[in-house]
Amino acid sequence: MSAWWTVMRKELLDAFRDRRMVLIALVVMPLAVPLIIAGMGSIGSKRQAEKREGTLELPVIGAEHAPNLLAWLRTNDVAVLDPPADPDGAVRRQEYEVILRIDADYGADWRAGRPAGVEVIFDSSRPLQSGTTIARLRGLLATYDRQVGTLRLIARGVHPSVAQPLQVGQRDVATPESRFDLAQQMLPYLLLLLAFIGGMQLAIDATAGERERQSLEPLLATPASREAIISGKILATAAFTLLSLLVTLVMYRITFALVPAGRMDVTMTVSTDSIARLLVVILPVVLLGATVLTALAAYARSHREAQGYLPLLMFLPMLPTMYLMVSPVKTQLWMLAVPFLGQNQLILRVLRGEPVAAAEWAVNLGAGLLLAGCAWWLATRLYHREHLAASS
Amino acid sequence: MIEVDALRKSFVSRGGTIRAVDGVSFRARDGEITGLLGPNGAGKTTTLRMLYTLMRPDEGRVLVDGLDPGAQPSDVRRRLGVLPDARGVYKRLTARENIAYFGRLHGMDDAAITARVERLVAALGMQDFIDRRTEGFSQGQRTKTAIARALVHDPRNVVLDEPTNGLDVMTTRSLRQFLHGLKAEGRCVLFSSHIMQEVAALCDRIVVIARGRVVAQGTPDQLRAQTGQQNLEDAFVQVIGSEEGLFA
Repeated sequence: MSAWWTVMRKELLDAFRDRRMVLIALVVMPLAVPLIIAGMGSIGSKRQAEKREGTLELPVIGAEHAPNLLAWLRTNDVAVLDPPADPDGAVRRQEYEVILRIDADYGADWRAGRPAGVEVIFDSSRPLQSGTTIARLRGLLATYDRQVGTLRLIARGVHPSVAQPLQVGQRDVATPESRFDLAQQMLPYLLLLLAFIGGMQLAIDATAGERERQSLEPLLATPASREAIISGKILATAAFTLLSLLVTLVMYRITFALVPAGRMDVTMTVSTDSIARLLVVILPVVLLGATVLTALAAYARSHREAQGYLPLLMFLPMLPTMYLMVSPVKTQLWMLAVPFLGQNQLILRVLRGEPVAAAEWAVNLGAGLLLAGCAWWLATRLYHREHLAASS
Repeated sequence: MIEVDALRKSFVSRGGTIRAVDGVSFRARDGEITGLLGPNGAGKTTTLRMLYTLMRPDEGRVLVDGLDPGAQPSDVRRRLGVLPDARGVYKRLTARENIAYFGRLHGMDDAAITARVERLVAALGMQDFIDRRTEGFSQGQRTKTAIARALVHDPRNVVLDEPTNGLDVMTTRSLRQFLHGLKAEGRCVLFSSHIMQEVAALCDRIVVIARGRVVAQGTPDQLRAQTGQQNLEDAFVQVIGSEEGLFA
């Protein structure tokens, strides 16, 4: 039996007897991830629905100039409010999402057949909060504009289609899987984070912890080579992380299978096939994470020092998600070779049910495994350092 | 058989270079118990660490059964049973699992490990706690587990760094008997201690180390003759040049 296999089995046995570690990796995390996403998803879609379908509260400045417009708005579920003293400030302070101002000349212009002025006051820097409401008000104004325009043309004996050179039809090709919402954008990040640092506890326990508890020196006095010892520890960390991810994905699948489909406007189901694919995509990150964690923890003098690296490591998988949020891009082949970015893209595509070409798999897995291999080589070099074992 | 020849090792620290071992030579023969005696910080642990390949000597040579640790580290470790100064055990594993883990790392199969564990349990008196998890073990139980773990592969050479540290009188006594048993089986036993009485009670040959150097070596009788002191304790004080650290 090879030494790495012996070390790996021992570390896993040790880990599975650590109740706290098992509880966090196999119960808490697998429950937390689906709940976070389901929670964000349902809160988000409920709020959007409210803004689309609830009564639109609209302060109007100069309401007395356009009674007909306001009457029409009221029939379209708009509650007209008195305007605040400082409309611009009120919008900026988020007291109102949008305010309508009607020109004093509105009546005169209307009667003269000139375009009558109305102004929508809004703050475009908060598209998430007020975007839906702004779009809704603009839509209402456009409808009113078109209706009155049509009536005027008919009154003048002109067919309304003369003023409508285009008829714009719309066909949405999104499949239910690809209609992503913001909550689901979180899933790749959560999965990558879990894959990268999910094995933290085990890795620290098996290296820095081993030294602190004074069992490293006897271990290094056995014939097992240091490469075999650190490889066993890395693989134990990776196996444990992979198991945690598998349980998380299965829980995710169960959670969204239980949620009634009507409650969400997008489907969030993940097929068994997709789970297998996601695990393959994540595998290089798991190996890389296990190696980096083990190497860092082996190099650190203590548990505390090893844990000090945690914030830095949490930041790494976040970078591509942030990049994709500010600049959503179409996937280029080279991107799949970039660690985290490539995985992030592929996870999104697997979740959206898009096909992934063999070349793309090859580039992504090849680059990821190569990087993990380099990290492994460095880790074994580090493990040969003399001061590593000398605990006292 | 362990041979150590002109061994040197320095450490660079912030305060400058520390010569931990500065020309140590001795020989530990099969069928004998050899004691490395010296005050704390004399270089005993560093010397032993170079034996079991944890550290590389700056200069000098080590041979274990004629093998060079620098060239064949795995073979050397296979021939050594090592109880280092650090002797932590895995607290979520039972004593038996702790021992079996090391047996597997030595390439033993399960049948051989089971047989060997039974012998060690009998020899060290571990019947009461062999199948308990080691969390909450007493110092003596931990040390016995660590010794059994170090000897699971039935090594020809046994290296123990301060084996009686922290043990009570009864456990120390049974450990001494155990070491005599190893000697009777023809093994080479090398152990370090800073306690004069212990070395005097056990050893066939004594190597006295102080400030990284061997200041005297030989049988207890030779040491007495060399120093002209009838009392071993006085002999030690004389060769070390101070009374510091000899009594515990």
